Amino acid sequence: MSKLFKVIKAKILDIIDETPTIRTFVLAPEQEFSFLAGQFAALTCLGIGEGFFTPSSSPYDKEKIEFTIMRVGRVTNGLFSLKKGDYVGLRGPFGKPYPLEKFEGREVFIVGGGVGMAPLRSLFLALLHDLSKYKKVYIRYGARTPRDLVYKNSLFEWQKIENVDLDLTVDVGDETWDGKVGVVTILLDEIPCDVNTACAVVCGPPLMMKFTLQKLLEKSFREENIYLSMEKNMSCAVGMCGHCRMGRYFVCKDGPVLTWQQIKDIEDPFI
Amino acid sequence: MIFVLDEISFRNLLHQWLNSYKIFVPEIFDGQKVPNIAILDKEKLEKFSLSVFENIRVWEPLKAIFSLPKEKVASFGNGEDSKEREKVLLIGAKVCDLRPLAVLKKMYLKEDFVFEEFKDRLENTLIISADCPYPQDTCFCNLVGLKPYVDRDIDGILPDLNLSFVDNKILVEVFTERGEELLKERIGVRKEEAEREILERRNEIRDNAYFTLKKINEKELKEDISKKVLEGEKNFWDKNLESCVECFGCLYVCPTCFCFLLSDYQVEKHYERIKVWDTCYHPMYARVAGGLNPRAEFYKRGRNRFHCKFSNFYFDYNFYACSGCGRCFSVCMGKIDIRKILLGL
Repeated sequence: MSKLFKVIKAKILDIIDETPTIRTFVLAPEQEFSFLAGQFAALTCLGIGEGFFTPSSSPYDKEKIEFTIMRVGRVTNGLFSLKKGDYVGLRGPFGKPYPLEKFEGREVFIVGGGVGMAPLRSLFLALLHDLSKYKKVYIRYGARTPRDLVYKNSLFEWQKIENVDLDLTVDVGDETWDGKVGVVTILLDEIPCDVNTACAVVCGPPLMMKFTLQKLLEKSFREENIYLSMEKNMSCAVGMCGHCRMGRYFVCKDGPVLTWQQIKDIEDPFI
Repeated sequence: MIFVLDEISFRNLLHQWLNSYKIFVPEIFDGQKVPNIAILDKEKLEKFSLSVFENIRVWEPLKAIFSLPKEKVASFGNGEDSKEREKVLLIGAKVCDLRPLAVLKKMYLKEDFVFEEFKDRLENTLIISADCPYPQDTCFCNLVGLKPYVDRDIDGILPDLNLSFVDNKILVEVFTERGEELLKERIGVRKEEAEREILERRNEIRDNAYFTLKKINEKELKEDISKKVLEGEKNFWDKNLESCVECFGCLYVCPTCFCFLLSDYQVEKHYERIKVWDTCYHPMYARVAGGLNPRAEFYKRGRNRFHCKFSNFYFDYNFYACSGCGRCFSVCMGKIDIRKILLGL
């Protein structure tokens, strides 16, 4: 049978509760599984089906691979019923990685919303591997409430790194929160980097993507320098099944990250 | 090389091929205008009329032979199934059956990813195409750049042999070494090289068929149809697709529709991954977990079929993902004619 749709087994080493609806699954694949930041993989909940997720861990970590997943549908419900020591299937990696070589010597402006921080964490960890290559890294991250922020502990650690500028906001604060309150675009009112050369990388829910993009364009980021993570229905992940078709592109093969320049003529790209 | 065979010789060939191949042929039942695909066996061969090859394409899209409507593509926890290596002979494929194979080949055999079952079947299937001398009202291969016969490779798909029926004789054109092998050392087969006179007669029949087709479809598609198709407004699609009952018949019989869906099932103590044909007209086709659906409204799904076949695919590969076979509106309960929509753009 086709190797295309076969999976390798991966043992669940740990499950971290990030928020009430988001968990990070730490997996140990039984065979080598290498990926580049931004590429995605298919996770199989055995007997239920596949979901497609971009790893949230560093591509340089060869021992384990992490996926930060929000519970929204059939497959993620299945994954959330699994325990430490259970197995999942893994297929991939698929798609094109973030073009790190293009980011070299430039400022990288990362904007995340909610669970959209997952692939951005992998990107950030890849940048962190040799931070000297990049002029400066900015992270702007928003979630609905303080409880909905993922990687809370890491975020506060990242804030301390030299050449990293991190700012957070929540839509609605609570008694534990003394930071900014408002949607993520409030963090874009002041853009501290050179918009002529900086690369913006955005991942989050559709509405957040839409308004973040508007703001970035308003602030004169170049359309070829705005990288957007697209979420589409997928089945094969290899550009054959047709499901993720978006204009001329197959998101699985040509994406999942596409520049605004590539997709600006597509009607409602974020739906 | 083109050979002339008489009917007895061709029957003898079929008889001998049956020893080595699973043979698919068109089969027509009483009162039917359009044949179905059938598996030939020795009993069937006794009553088999060669005139069936002169009909238009079979009802079923031939993709069904290469990418099964439903098939297991992976299993977990149950060892490996052995690889199929059945030798198949597909006889009577029309030009409008060949382009679809070219489309599937582009979609399923990529540089980095290969759908192995498809590749295996394509490699193990010898194709004997046949001229299409009597196009019907549903045919429109001339509108998408094809002619009702095969005299060259069709978008990269070269049949092994081609049949033309000329005044009770069968002209067999050899296109490949595999095709040459099919004719070699056969008992009771008299074959002569075709001479000018019979070749001229074949060309006359071919020209007549093309002329008939051009009379059926007088108006040509606009040269920039790949751009026009993207410009259609909501009202245009609403109006033209108004009678669609969303049965998805057009897409299931479409030989160029390549979409599929993978689903996993538990079977006793192991798991199986099943691939089934899918259709972009289905409301759930593009819906993502969480509920967002880029093509929730029907006109968006309806036009997607046109965007896919006449713009996106054309942009990538320089030929339409449509072969003008007319199956889509032959099955349409709403009598939606793809030609009228394309000509209206």
